[in-house]
Amino acid sequence: MNKKVMGNRLQIAALLAPGVLIFSMFTLYPIVKLFVMSFFEWDFGSMFEQAFIGLENYETVLKDKYFQTAFMNSIYYTLITVPAQMILGLLVALLINSVARFKVGYRVLYYLPVITSWVIASLVFRYIFNTEGLLNYFLSNVLHITRGNIRWLDSRTGGMAVAMLLGTWKGIGWNMVVFLAALQTVPAELYEGASIDGAGTIRKFFSITLPSIKGTVLFALVMLTIGGFNVFTSIKMITGGNPGHQTDTVLTWMYYKAFSTGEFGYAAALSFIIASALACLALIQFRMMRNME
Amino acid sequence: MTKKTLRQTGINFILLSTLSLVIMPMIYMVSTSLKPNGALYEFPPRFFPHLDELTIENYMYIIRQGKYYINFLNSILVSGITVLLAAFIASALGFCMARFHFTGKKILFAFILLTMIIPGTTLIVPQYELAVKLKAINNLWGLIPFYVAWVIPYSTFMIKGFVETIPSELDEAIYMDGGSVFTVFFKIILPLAKPGIASVSIFNFLTAWEEYPWANTVINDNLKRTLPIAISGFFGQHQFTQWGYVFALSVFSLIPILLVFIFCQKFFVAGLTTGSVKG
Repeated sequence: MNKKVMGNRLQIAALLAPGVLIFSMFTLYPIVKLFVMSFFEWDFGSMFEQAFIGLENYETVLKDKYFQTAFMNSIYYTLITVPAQMILGLLVALLINSVARFKVGYRVLYYLPVITSWVIASLVFRYIFNTEGLLNYFLSNVLHITRGNIRWLDSRTGGMAVAMLLGTWKGIGWNMVVFLAALQTVPAELYEGASIDGAGTIRKFFSITLPSIKGTVLFALVMLTIGGFNVFTSIKMITGGNPGHQTDTVLTWMYYKAFSTGEFGYAAALSFIIASALACLALIQFRMMRNME
Repeated sequence: MTKKTLRQTGINFILLSTLSLVIMPMIYMVSTSLKPNGALYEFPPRFFPHLDELTIENYMYIIRQGKYYINFLNSILVSGITVLLAAFIASALGFCMARFHFTGKKILFAFILLTMIIPGTTLIVPQYELAVKLKAINNLWGLIPFYVAWVIPYSTFMIKGFVETIPSELDEAIYMDGGSVFTVFFKIILPLAKPGIASVSIFNFLTAWEEYPWANTVINDNLKRTLPIAISGFFGQHQFTQWGYVFALSVFSLIPILLVFIFCQKFFVAGLTTGSVKG
């Protein structure tokens, strides 16, 4: 091997080093540590005293009623917000795609909720849905649909519904941009051919548009599913898990157990369950994506 | 009116009416921030303030409180350093992965995909333990490396895709002239991949700027807080939430994001769509 090849190898190593170092320290080590911690009794207060307890944390998590509620909340949240965002985002994309003017203007304005931070967006929603807030006033005093003020944030259904509405509202813009890009890749000849054959708008959508963008649909599905289980800030800001942890999701419940009751072992087992479940799910979705190509 | 203009009018009508619903919360936030703070649980609540009660007192309050400057500065510092470090590290990784074969490349790529899948918050417990060990609690350096590690996978993935579109004949020419890997990286790849790097950097800025769970866990000190933590700090501190102040500070913290978004619109969309369309 000559000097030059050797030198280049060193340079490649030098370029890889910072990334590999950051990964090993701040991501790989925590992943391994998470796995290890989940088998120990490990308290926040006594950070370095632990006892090996095998699968006990996993058992405690899975049998915990609060975890089950939180898990179901995350499932409902994902099952409702993911299709809602995708359908609304796609609809907006289709409309913007067929509008003759102001395309950029629409795109920018519809994207505003996406760039609004979660903390701020959550607080605005909390303010609107407050018992003395704008929505209740509008419903009971302007439209006269409801009598008296509804305590939106004081029930499991109400609190989750507000969080889901926020999640959907915030996600439409992202879906719109992703689907708008995908729509540009559908060959225009296909539509012309279909028009000659007398196909209507809806027919064209289902037989041309949807099949052509299915790769993007699956991509969005993977990303949004991960996002759905990652919901944290909105719950924390809007309901704080109240009443009585009824509106906690897996991550806010995990956070509560870790940093309010100090059960790091429990929290680690819970996190590991969620992380591996999502990794498996994403793997299946990626496989499907590859098979389709 | 022809059938075509009728159709266009219809589409515009639907788009505009939906849009008014979509941006309603933002407008309500701004309008609340311009109302006197005392009237915030007013009855009846009004969407717009009366013209004669319009006030900037909430903004003046925020401006007079010195600590919010520091929070703002903290956010700028943390987001700025995160973006710069991530841009360099991810470009280097993306370049190597696009151009060379090396031991462990497959493992590295699988690891990058894996970290894109796992929700970041699931690692908060061991990361907290690490931050304690590194004595990074209550320190802005307790945020930056974690954010960098957080955004690198996606950035690397995107930049790698971008580098692959740069013809490798350009690299060959440099090597023929006796250039090294560094020469190719700094003279060819970095300048040509600029749009790709810019688009991921905008996302990284947004991510770091609005990050809440980790910053809320690591930082307790008022003066070390970033803006999202400062905003959430209005709760629990007073008996009544001072919504006027909350939304005035929120508007301040949205300004940099809006500026970035407006001036970098082109990159923004490019960054979103490269990965998805390739599927």
